[in-house]
Amino acid sequence: MIIINYIASALLIALGLYAVCTKKNLIKIVIGLGVIDYGINLLIVSAGFNDGGTAPIFTISDLINGVAGNYFVDPVPQALTLTSIVIGACVDAMALVLVIKLFQKYGSLDAGDIRRMRG
Amino acid sequence: MMNIMQHFPVIAVMSLFLGAFLVEIFGRKNKIVRNIITMIFVAISFLCIIALIKPVILDGEVISYWLGNWEPVNGYAIGIGYEVDALNLFFAILVVLTFTLSAIYSLRYMEKDDHLGHYYTLFLMLSGGVLGLVLTGDIFNMYVMVEIMTFAAVALTAFRNYKKGALESAFKYLVIGSVGSGFTLTGICLVYMQCHTLNMAQLSSILANHLTPTTILALALIFIGFGVKSFMVPFHTPAADAYTTAPSSISMVFSGMVNKAGVYGMIRLMFVVFMMMDKTAMQILLAAFGTITMFVGVTMALAQHDFKRLLAFHSISQIGYVLAACGLGTALGVSGGLFHAMNHTLFKGLLFLCAGAVYYATGTTNLDKLGGLSKKMPKTAICFLIGAFSISGLPPFNGFVSKWMIYQAAWSKGVETNNFFYVFVTIVAVVVSVMTLASFIKVTQAVFFGQPSEKCENAKEVPLAMRIPMWIMSALCILVGIFYNFINTNLLTPATNAVFNATNYIDKMMGSGYAAAAGVSETTIEPAALSYWDPILWLILFVIILAAVCIAILTGKRTRGEVLVNKTEAVDGKYATFFGGEKSEHSHVSGSDLFWGFKKNWGGYFKFMQGMHSGDVNDYSLYTVIASAVIIIVIFIFIH
Repeated sequence: MIIINYIASALLIALGLYAVCTKKNLIKIVIGLGVIDYGINLLIVSAGFNDGGTAPIFTISDLINGVAGNYFVDPVPQALTLTSIVIGACVDAMALVLVIKLFQKYGSLDAGDIRRMRG
Repeated sequence: MMNIMQHFPVIAVMSLFLGAFLVEIFGRKNKIVRNIITMIFVAISFLCIIALIKPVILDGEVISYWLGNWEPVNGYAIGIGYEVDALNLFFAILVVLTFTLSAIYSLRYMEKDDHLGHYYTLFLMLSGGVLGLVLTGDIFNMYVMVEIMTFAAVALTAFRNYKKGALESAFKYLVIGSVGSGFTLTGICLVYMQCHTLNMAQLSSILANHLTPTTILALALIFIGFGVKSFMVPFHTPAADAYTTAPSSISMVFSGMVNKAGVYGMIRLMFVVFMMMDKTAMQILLAAFGTITMFVGVTMALAQHDFKRLLAFHSISQIGYVLAACGLGTALGVSGGLFHAMNHTLFKGLLFLCAGAVYYATGTTNLDKLGGLSKKMPKTAICFLIGAFSISGLPPFNGFVSKWMIYQAAWSKGVETNNFFYVFVTIVAVVVSVMTLASFIKVTQAVFFGQPSEKCENAKEVPLAMRIPMWIMSALCILVGIFYNFINTNLLTPATNAVFNATNYIDKMMGSGYAAAAGVSETTIEPAALSYWDPILWLILFVIILAAVCIAILTGKRTRGEVLVNKTEAVDGKYATFFGGEKSEHSHVSGSDLFWGFKKNWGGYFKFMQGMHSGDVNDYSLYTVIASAVIIIVIFIFIH
């Protein structure tokens, strides 16, 4: 529960969307996609954070019997963030591959030139 | 028996992923090994899903499976669960049917391409992703499957990267798709923050009586995310490009199951998990987007010169019907929507296969270069006509029944609520249906009738392995249209029941009594009344008309349709006054001239819409962001 992280993640997502919508350079669009991912990752990992919480290493029976207490960092969002980072890396890699092929084919990285499919 | 059955959903998904890896390892060089591996794993998946029909749909059970046997502790779900009820299974059947037929079709259709090992790897990943999305009971798992699906779909869009525009379509698809997935993930994160669980059954029971600003924002974001995946306007722009440039076997998969996955996510999350569709604002929002989608799709289709791009816009338009019908929020509406989703899979898959056959035979899909193929490829032409009749909603084909259900549902909803909006939806639905017919008259004229063009002179009928999937699809189109009552009681009613009654779904997953404790109410769904038309009578009428037309053609002049220019050469000079100018060798009325007057009158609209589809990825993302902002604002203002 850290307000500044939420604000930062919202700003990152907005910044990424701004880059995707306004930047003409394909590389910058890919960077924008990456920034959106980082914003979301920050949001997820902040969601599980407890200030002063302990590491979440317990067995199920500890949790049921209350040995663990209530105050530990939620491990699930961290697992989600890892998955999300991997997927984000795949998005970037795939997009960059396409950008390289597009540059070879069109000789340009300007989104305004790469629009043969229209109408 | 149940113990074996409960493993089937996971086996169905996992066999496809396993197949993908095995094809990549063993099938890169050897063609036969590759095809055998692909077909075996596709068949395993197909049989697993088909085997589930009896317990789930006929006996009304819900099958659940906890991965790693992590069962819920103290009413909290820990592990990832797979859960199959009638709604899941309905979509799963469509998915396995689509990819099985597509795999059979690919064997011959793709044989001229190289690197086919990668093709089948991606194909199996795509199939597995969609099937996993449809069968999973875990909302984050759903997101992961969405991403697997999107990646495989993007890579397959660019597979024939020598084709004009394939790479840029893939790039646009990736950008818009990632933005959409990002919205979904943010929504899922917000849901998790509020409910501390990712299991859909548990979420459903928590969210039923728990509406905070955060969950409303999550609702809006997930709505946008699955809107992007089901390609509703204005998120449809990459779809039109991707369907055009992907190989036809993949276009069929896209329109048959990838956008169905979006529709499924929309129905599952809006109806079952968030239980929001009893709110008028949500109903109108979804129905309004559906209505815009069907209208924009069909009008853009009228302006196209490419066979597959035209079909792509029709696909978008038909998804509009499904969304609008689901947006009605009534049992009849949802039944109609599900039925149309099913029919769309059948007839649109058939049409894309026909387009693939035309491309296979002639090497082009440009409508202005095609013509007269009905003489060269009569069997493909018949399949295409069946598909065209179905999509245009002519009785007794399947499209008619589902469209009629949608008209009836929209109209009765309008009468019930005294809301003019639903009457408007009905009118638009009827008009769009007429325009679909007009558009398919254009395609049929341009591709199959008239004089064979230069490109089509040497066309041959496609091989049997490609025709078999087409025949199966055609047969299903007709059978579903005639035995609609059987489908309605045995497939649609259980699925609709699952949409409106989450109790079974929750109880099976979380332990009995869980839903009742959380205050989830239950309603009974009667089978939709469909006795207002008799397909047999229509069939007889249709046969009579067909016979009359055939007789008229057979007894008419045999010289019909000959090119005059050749005659003028024979009689030399007699018509020289009239034909003395440039010699025309080809007198085919091209498809784009058929509705010239209509297009002229609507010139302003078409010019605007074609300008909007500018091909610029920035524009497309801007539409996505603006529409998302509108959806978020509307949901925040009207949902309390």
